[in-house]
Amino acid sequence: MRVIDLAVKDWRQLLRDRQTVFFMAAMPILFTLFFGLIFGSAGGETDPRLPVAVISADSSSSLSGSLLSLLEASEAVRPVVEEGVSAEEAGQWVRDARYAAALFVPAGFGGTVEHLAEGKAERLASNGTIAGDEAMQATLIVDRSTPAGQTAASAIETAVTRLLSAAQIARLATEAFEASVPFEDQAVRQAFHHQALASASEAWREPPISVAVEQAWAAGEDEQSQPNAFAQSSPGMIIQFTIHGLMMTAMILVLERKTGALQRLLPTTMTRTQIIAAKVLGSFVTVFAQQALLVLVGQFAFGVDYLREPVATLAVMAALSLWVTSLGLLIGALARTEEHVHTWSLVAMFFFSALGGAWFPLEYTGKAFNTIGHLTPAAWALDGFQNIVMRGLGLQSVLLPVGIVVAYAVVFFGLAVWRFRFE
Amino acid sequence: MRDGTAIRIRDLHKDFGDVQAVRGIDLDVYEGEIFSLLGPNGAGKPTTINMLSCLLEPTQGEAWVMGHSIRTDSMAVKEAIGVVPQETALYPDLSARENLTFWGKMYGLRGAALRQRVDQVLETIGLTERQKGRVDKFSGGMKRRLNIGIGLLPRPQVLFLDEPTVGIDPQSRRNILDQVKEFNRQGMTILYTTHYMEEAQELSDHIAIMDYGKLIACGTHEELVKIVGELDRIELTINAKSERVLAGWQATQGVHEVSAEDSKITLLVDDSNVVLPRLFEAAVGAGVRITAVEVQEPNLEAVFLHLTDRALRD
Repeated sequence: MRVIDLAVKDWRQLLRDRQTVFFMAAMPILFTLFFGLIFGSAGGETDPRLPVAVISADSSSSLSGSLLSLLEASEAVRPVVEEGVSAEEAGQWVRDARYAAALFVPAGFGGTVEHLAEGKAERLASNGTIAGDEAMQATLIVDRSTPAGQTAASAIETAVTRLLSAAQIARLATEAFEASVPFEDQAVRQAFHHQALASASEAWREPPISVAVEQAWAAGEDEQSQPNAFAQSSPGMIIQFTIHGLMMTAMILVLERKTGALQRLLPTTMTRTQIIAAKVLGSFVTVFAQQALLVLVGQFAFGVDYLREPVATLAVMAALSLWVTSLGLLIGALARTEEHVHTWSLVAMFFFSALGGAWFPLEYTGKAFNTIGHLTPAAWALDGFQNIVMRGLGLQSVLLPVGIVVAYAVVFFGLAVWRFRFE
Repeated sequence: MRDGTAIRIRDLHKDFGDVQAVRGIDLDVYEGEIFSLLGPNGAGKPTTINMLSCLLEPTQGEAWVMGHSIRTDSMAVKEAIGVVPQETALYPDLSARENLTFWGKMYGLRGAALRQRVDQVLETIGLTERQKGRVDKFSGGMKRRLNIGIGLLPRPQVLFLDEPTVGIDPQSRRNILDQVKEFNRQGMTILYTTHYMEEAQELSDHIAIMDYGKLIACGTHEELVKIVGELDRIELTINAKSERVLAGWQATQGVHEVSAEDSKITLLVDDSNVVLPRLFEAAVGAGVRITAVEVQEPNLEAVFLHLTDRALRD
């Protein structure tokens, strides 16, 4: 009971401090809005598909245009047309995770496809190339060892297959028409063929029948879970400002030590373990309540669908609260003055927010930064949130991030207890 | 074990690394008395209190509070004591009532009993009218009183007061001393640490003088004063410190002790009426001018000076 009384006292002190309440509640909401506007141009939706660089030297061909159109219709990849890029540069982009894949379309590619459609055997090479005419093969640069690479390759192969199919349909349609009504001349025949090709390609953009793919271990995305710009900024700011919230935990500890109140607790028959437990409880509930508020604001004000997987969201929130509480306890144990708490808390907040991807998606930063970022628990906590709100995944997808964040919490807590001082 | 003894200390030591803060104390404090630990800063008073409050583990020795060992029965000791630390260990952003309520809960009080006890303590320390005021708006004296009030919450059998009058105005000090006497009249045993000789003299049934972690004298005020016999204490202020005049005064007939701190010289003498003219004569001979003279009857300051060759400074 006294553990709860001591925790309640901490909450009461915290709520009396208007500046702290402002920083814990209002500031993260404002920053979520600010970063959301930056990421999503006035709150518009972002494109969550994997970016694929398309470097085309066959711009005059309508078939190359159809390929681009089919890729744009893909639910998995988002084509980004790049120009004047060498294979080395494109390869580097893929290695840096800037693009999931890079597709080189050579001059004459469209002609090759038409040639294939006229009856020559086509072949989709398993080594990452799309082979047709040896001289006109398109080249796909992709890392098939990554899920993103596999998804991108699969989507591009599908688009190329559809392109070939559309070309064949156009050829068959032209020949069938020609058998019944001969064309006046070659130009009319060509125009008919182009029209048939365009119609077949368009038909592939939205096939009338498709197979709905559902992951066995995660709920698929539904309309409401389509991520928006706030799906990056909301969890990012939750992480940044819960880390900022640890300042209050540490500050209360330092002030209690400075006034002697912490030491005064010892002759009251409370044990040291009970006192530390009360401090942990007070901080945990504070950070958790702060997150709950920000999650609800994210859900209902910014349309970030945390509640589509409530158990997974709660698991990430609890793990993040544990880690932030442990870090706050550690800073409170080590700091001797209020200035120490201010400085160290801000350093912790900026360090973990920047490296953890709270300000910008780690996917945009390249492989090295991404790897370094994932040495921090902040990045894993963010992964947990984003698996839910951006990737449409479920409880199983957050188990690893939650486990890693909890492991960090245990380490930080051990250090804090080891260094804890009452005077 | 108790025999009317509230606190019994035997061969108590506390070391902090190489520093020996308390170096073998033996002491008995009887139930219902006010016992003062008197000594300068660094004498080991707070360390002794902290060991008796079970905040610090003794390096050596043993102590019992109300018959409970501080080593083996710390919970029973804690239930018997109230502690008022030297620091005003309060929550400045909470009100007086909120502070008392919080600490009452920490002492295990609940519900109506807690509210009633808080009301009583507020009345005792004279803060009923200001109970809703935030502590950071309080004067130093009010904070001290609230600090004491928290120590009273568990109705302790033994109250430890560690320098409760440091840094406050004379009126607040007077108020606190009167309160301490009142607590004692109500039957509370009080262990009071101070470096103010007058406080120890006014309050205490028994006084122990500590210096450098050791007990150098213990007894009633009268017993302690007898240590220096009938010696008078003379405090002289001179215009410039001079080794020659100090040597001259040391050699003057009727002078027993001489201690100097800058231009202030303290002497223990047989009869101040006889010795004072000789001191003036020696000063003139050394070319030194005496600018102020104060003569005191034998007191604890003289005892400390006699035992340590140093003044008991504030």
